[in-house]
Formats: sequence, C-alpha cells, structure tokens
Amino acid sequence: MTRTLKLTGQAIALAAVAGLLGLLIWRLTHQTHPPKIGGPAPAFDLKRIDGTGKVTLASLRGKPVVLNFWASWCVPCKGEAKMLEQAWNQYRSQGVVFVGVDYHDVSSDARTFLSHHGITYPTVQDGSGMVGNKYGLTGVPETYFIDRQGRLVGSHIIGTITNQAAAFHDGIEAALDR
Amino acid sequence: MIVKALAAAAAALVIAGPAAAACAHPKTSLSYLEGQIMCPTCHTTLDMSEAPAAQQIKAQISKRIAQCWTAQQIENELVGNFGQGILAAPPHKGFDLLAWWLPIGSVLAGAALLAVGVWRWSRTRGPDDEPGEDPLDPETERRLDELLAGLD
Repeated sequence: MTRTLKLTGQAIALAAVAGLLGLLIWRLTHQTHPPKIGGPAPAFDLKRIDGTGKVTLASLRGKPVVLNFWASWCVPCKGEAKMLEQAWNQYRSQGVVFVGVDYHDVSSDARTFLSHHGITYPTVQDGSGMVGNKYGLTGVPETYFIDRQGRLVGSHIIGTITNQAAAFHDGIEAALDR
Repeated sequence: MIVKALAAAAAALVIAGPAAAACAHPKTSLSYLEGQIMCPTCHTTLDMSEAPAAQQIKAQISKRIAQCWTAQQIENELVGNFGQGILAAPPHKGFDLLAWWLPIGSVLAGAALLAVGVWRWSRTRGPDDEPGEDPLDPETERRLDELLAGLD
C-alpha cells in the first residue's frame, strides 16, 4: 500500500514536471517575432468597422498597401488623420490601397472618429490586438508599407506620419516598387 | 407667443429626453466592473490604470450603466469588441472552467495524498518504534540492571 502510494505520488510529480516542461517548450516555439522589412507581411482577416464584411491581406495581393494602426483614444492619431486621407486620395488612382487598423478600441468611438475626420479608406477592427501583436506594434499610431508581393517595404513608421512625411512618401513609393 | 412657448417646451423635451431616460436603479457599478475588466494596452485591471484606452473603456461602461445594462451585458459587449482577453477572470464555462477547477482539484488531491501518507506512516510505526527506544544489547542491559540494583 505504502509502495503504491509512493509510486502514485512520484507519477503525479513527474506528470506535473512534464506538463510544465511542455508548456515552456510550447511558449518558446510559439513566440511571435516582429516581422522584418523585406519579409512577408503577417496575414490578417479582420472585420470592417466602417461597413460590412471583412478585409484580408491575401485579398490585397497584387496591390501596394499602406497599413495604418490607430485608435480613437490616441491623440497623435487625430493629428495624422487628415494627412492619411489626403494621401489616400492622392495615391488611390495609382492602385495603392490604404487600410486603417483600429487597435484596442471601442467600435462606436472608432466610428465616431472615422466620421469626424472624414476617413473614407477601409478600416478594420483589431479589438483583441492580435494582428497588432503579429506586426510587433509598440503603440499607436504606426504605419507599414506592403508591396504587391505581400512583403514589408520602406521604413516602418513609429509615431505620427506628420513628423515623418518624407519617410511616409518613400514608403508608398517603395510599395509601388518605383 | 404660445407657438414659441410650445416649440421651446418641445425642444426642452428633446434635449432632456436622454437624461430622463437615464437609469434610476443601476444594475451594476463602475467600481465593480473596473475590477473585472482589463485595460488592453497596459494589462492591468481598469481600476489600476489611467491609460487612455482604460479611460475610454471606463467611459463606455459608465454610459452602459446609465442605460441600465447589467454587468453581464456590458461584459458581453466588451468581449465582442476586444475578445475574451478583456476579462480579468476566465468565464465559468467550457474549457475555461479548467482554470477554476484545476487549482482547487490540485490542492484537494495534494491534501488527500498527504493525509493518506500521514495515516500510512503512523500505522507502520508502532509505539515501540519511537526514536531512542531501540532494545539494548544483553551486555548493556545486564550492566544497567547491576547499576540500578546498586542504587536500591
């Protein structure tokens, strides 16, 4: 009886250690690393906040994409909204697609933001922040440029584009592959 | 004049409408939900955070409380918006139940194992097995008897 008890205890302890080891291995193998410029842009499949349906990155393959992460509670995002909309109107005829990604935001406030700033390009909701995490987001606003092959190009802009206008336009040109 | 007064009264009603519709008996409180909901950008509960995202969610919760929403309705809306990660504690259903029952089960199993172990240990060690009560060898016993006899 004592021997059985001892064996049971040992088996439970061993199972617990094996479980913890398994968790550690799983965590190490599933760590997300920020994507590199020149590498593939992380895929996404997100619900539109400005209308119905979804936007997937795969559906935009073949088009240059400007991906802007923002939130309605983010003060600098308000500052760059006008410039983004102007750039969208400037480049859309060349086939560039702008996509806003609303990050960790209350959807009703996000819609108010879009309406207030007159944003007309498609905007998707990343409420859980999962897509932002895949991109290695450090905060909002941040802007990425994706070329027709689905690769990240140009400089990833951290912070508002209004202070980095040259890098912003260079990023769009890089996405256009010119 | 009367028409103007009526128009003013109608306008006042329109403006006062939402306030009049405010919840007289709220079904939950901001202070309760602040401890149940996480700030998505700072990974603490709302009551520990002053981050802009947390402030926005607090405002949203206050709005819903004023509309007489229950805590469950507010939590459901926030989960729909931000995902399950917005909840400070996992829900009491499905796979998430494991998070509640696994620690309790582990403690109970450990306590049961300990109790059985102690019980077994106490049974295998009889009263003669007390430390320091090993039987003396015959020579020591004889000498001890002699010493004790000398004391009489």
